Amino acid sequence: MSLKLFSLRHLFKKPICVTSNQTTLYQNNVVSNLTNFSTSSIACVNFFNKLPAEKLWKSVTSVSNAGAKKGRGKGAGRIRIRDLNRGQVIGVGKINMLWPGLSAPVIRGRELLKQQRLPDDPERMEKLIKLRDSMTKFRRLKLSPIERGWSGARMPGRSIGPPDPIGDDEFTGFDTKVLQLRSLLIMKGTLGRTRNYQAMVVTGNGQGLAGFGFGKAKEATAALRKAKNRAGKKLMHFDIYNGHTIFHDFFTAFGKSKIFVQKKNEGYGLCCHRAIKEICQAIGIKDLRAKVEGSNNLQHIVKAFFIGLLQQRTHQQLAEEKKLHLVEYKAENEYYPTVVASPSVVRTKEEIPKDETLDFIQYVMNDKVILKRKKFPRFYETMPHYDIFLKKFERYRNHEKIRLNLKVEYGEVKSFLNDKYPEEKVESEA
Amino acid sequence: MSLFKLFQKNTKNVINHYNNLQITAISSRKLSILPSIYDGEQDPGPKFFSSGVQALLKRLTRPDFAKVFRKRTNSNLSVLRTPKYKFLTDEELKAEMSKANQTAARLLQMPPVVKVHEPINEVLSKDPALVGYDTSKYLFTDITFGVPNEHRLIVERNPDGTLQNCDHDTRKRLNQIYFPMQGRKVREPIMFADEEKFNGLLEAEKYEYILDRACIQYEPDEPNYQKITSITYQHVDMKTNFNLLRSTRHFGPLVFYLTWHQSMDNLMLELLQSGIVREAVLLMGLRHAIHEDITNADEVNVLVPQILPTPVQLTKPETLSEEDIQMDNKCVDCIAKYITNNSAMKSQQELALQGFREDYQQLVDLSRGLKKAHGNA
Amino acid sequence: MPLPPASGTGRYFVKAAKSIRLIRQGCTNRPFFHISVTHRKRLNSQPVIEQLGSYDPMPNFNNEKLVALNLERIKFWLGHGAHVSPPVAELLGLAGFFPIHPRSYMTAWRNRRTERENSEKQKEAEAAAKTADAA
Repeated sequence: MSLKLFSLRHLFKKPICVTSNQTTLYQNNVVSNLTNFSTSSIACVNFFNKLPAEKLWKSVTSVSNAGAKKGRGKGAGRIRIRDLNRGQVIGVGKINMLWPGLSAPVIRGRELLKQQRLPDDPERMEKLIKLRDSMTKFRRLKLSPIERGWSGARMPGRSIGPPDPIGDDEFTGFDTKVLQLRSLLIMKGTLGRTRNYQAMVVTGNGQGLAGFGFGKAKEATAALRKAKNRAGKKLMHFDIYNGHTIFHDFFTAFGKSKIFVQKKNEGYGLCCHRAIKEICQAIGIKDLRAKVEGSNNLQHIVKAFFIGLLQQRTHQQLAEEKKLHLVEYKAENEYYPTVVASPSVVRTKEEIPKDETLDFIQYVMNDKVILKRKKFPRFYETMPHYDIFLKKFERYRNHEKIRLNLKVEYGEVKSFLNDKYPEEKVESEA
Repeated sequence: MSLFKLFQKNTKNVINHYNNLQITAISSRKLSILPSIYDGEQDPGPKFFSSGVQALLKRLTRPDFAKVFRKRTNSNLSVLRTPKYKFLTDEELKAEMSKANQTAARLLQMPPVVKVHEPINEVLSKDPALVGYDTSKYLFTDITFGVPNEHRLIVERNPDGTLQNCDHDTRKRLNQIYFPMQGRKVREPIMFADEEKFNGLLEAEKYEYILDRACIQYEPDEPNYQKITSITYQHVDMKTNFNLLRSTRHFGPLVFYLTWHQSMDNLMLELLQSGIVREAVLLMGLRHAIHEDITNADEVNVLVPQILPTPVQLTKPETLSEEDIQMDNKCVDCIAKYITNNSAMKSQQELALQGFREDYQQLVDLSRGLKKAHGNA
Repeated sequence: MPLPPASGTGRYFVKAAKSIRLIRQGCTNRPFFHISVTHRKRLNSQPVIEQLGSYDPMPNFNNEKLVALNLERIKFWLGHGAHVSPPVAELLGLAGFFPIHPRSYMTAWRNRRTERENSEKQKEAEAAAKTADAA
């Protein structure tokens, strides 16, 4: 296709060039060029200068009705109409001439300008070609990595700012993340198939307040705005344990989507579905692990996670439910038992029925157990080359440590024997 | 031993000297601290391990569980772990707490204070016919399984043909080579070997780090260990940084060291200034147990067993019971006698005691008034 | 386990003759020996029955040669009638576990002799140089 374009451009230029050449020839030095003068006739009218540019472009870009139905003339190989006159100025051409009254004023200061040839501009043609090329390429919207969502320039995962203020109340510190933006097709009696957009967003201030909302509209932006403002009206408050995680592990489900959420230590991060991650960031939860089982329906996952968060119980509530002390053990504190909550009345051992679940995790998870898949050996571990590698690697197993020790002791990799038998220094500059 | 006395005198002088200067300018990197080791005729071991002294030292450590079980960066965990939770009944909680107390006792177990070891110089055989066999020494280590390090058979064959038992340094090195102890290095770490670096650590007040590392690197009866710890203890004493070592396992040996070298008056002053008179009496009891030079020893001996079962004072009490007031008054009287008869820093300690008395009187009035107001009096 | 452990596999034939010998480990220009018990007819490259110690023939930074001996196991294998190779017997002799091996005495004596001869030669050379200077 580019070949076609090139030939087209070449042909376009030709008549112009011919005329300009001739004019210059006549005006500059007629006598010297008389030797090259030919008497054969030149056909100045042809297909390309007989028709206007519009019609010429149409002939190149148009697709037949049948072809358009098949989807031709779209996508990457599509030809676009370009204005080839862009960048061309009357009076400026290949040969850099100064035309008083056309490309320059007649009188500059008190001086009368004369028609003269200026030195050639070698980059003129390149600039023109570049300008023309810039019109052909289709630029995809490029986002900075910070603005980017989950995938490229698509909306899910992108931030769309705080909800619009309601009256005088502004949503300061809030940020909204798009979780889902999809088009819905609806059949209407009069209009046939129409396109609607549905958006799901979550908004939160990162300090416990968050909410999610849906919005539907004919346009994507309108749907997002609706969803955002609806989310702002449906804020919920969540307590965050020690400012970084949830209060306890929990199991939650909505429809066929099941989520197993685990409380984690500080610095663990968010190890979960990307939508759950965005929700956690909106709420202000920093450490958590969540496993989604069953259906991957995004709306169900979001709803299930919010329900689960709302159904959390504080340590005091748990202790009261069980009528037992709730004690926390941390490895970094040598497993010192810290009583985090005590009930008003504590049961004794005799009062606890035999079949009661006393295990904390089992109790808060509602007797659900996370499926832990069996770890299979890596694909290479059963291959013979891995055995060979292990055998070869056996002799290097301590080298790293020894090098480090030598560097600590001597400042470089050498032994005490190097003082006695110094090694020849290799010239590093060579 | 004259050397020992010289050391003792020196340390005392140093400390007194600094006290007189009110610890003003100690900014110089070169510290004029002389190391001292337990190498006198008297062995500190039996006194240190006696149950009475151990109880006193443990109580003087003032164990605060918040500090004992604090988050440690030097534990074997490279990352934090998710906390575990349990539902416990009252009895189970009590059992867990007693278990935690045992853990605390383990964490607070004091490094032993013993006399420095005697050099080993035991020739097993001499064989002049072996002269010239080799120019280097042969070291033979028996690596039989299950033999403790101190009883391991380690002998050397010298180039002159003598076969003898190795000295402590070599023994330690070979034990470390064949039976490595985690954290211990075969060569002395730079932080101990390089005086500049060691002083830098002291200046940065990383006492616990120094002492912990020394516990791993050295044996308690090594002269190097005792030198390093003595310098650290004296530095702590000089800067009155006792709180940095409180509720760690090193506080007991520190107090023992200071008392052994008759320089615990700085600690006494710190105790009086912070208003913990009971521990001051315990310190007197410790001095009596070690040196037996307290004039009002009977009083102290009566008070100490009364004080020991009382709970540790971590914060200032808000209300006082009558028994507390009685006991504290007794303690104050006892300390006043000590100051007049035994103290080396009379004026300062008297001043501190006076300040305590005034504060205490206010507290007593307040608590009595409160009781009256509540109608319990 | 990618390689059989150098410290031995523990598999052996009860009635076959055993031998306690040095087995070279280490690498080029850096000898290091294991003192191991193995079948007498077995090659040194084959897995041994049990490692009984080690011997580093290169003096360390303190000019010492380190030898480790598991005396309990050595006694056990000696009791089973294991043959001891001369280098190991020499080491055990130096350690005071065996009587000094005659070869140790011979080596010492030869070393002393060469040293004596060398010093005599040096003296002669010096004397010759002196006479040459005088002349």
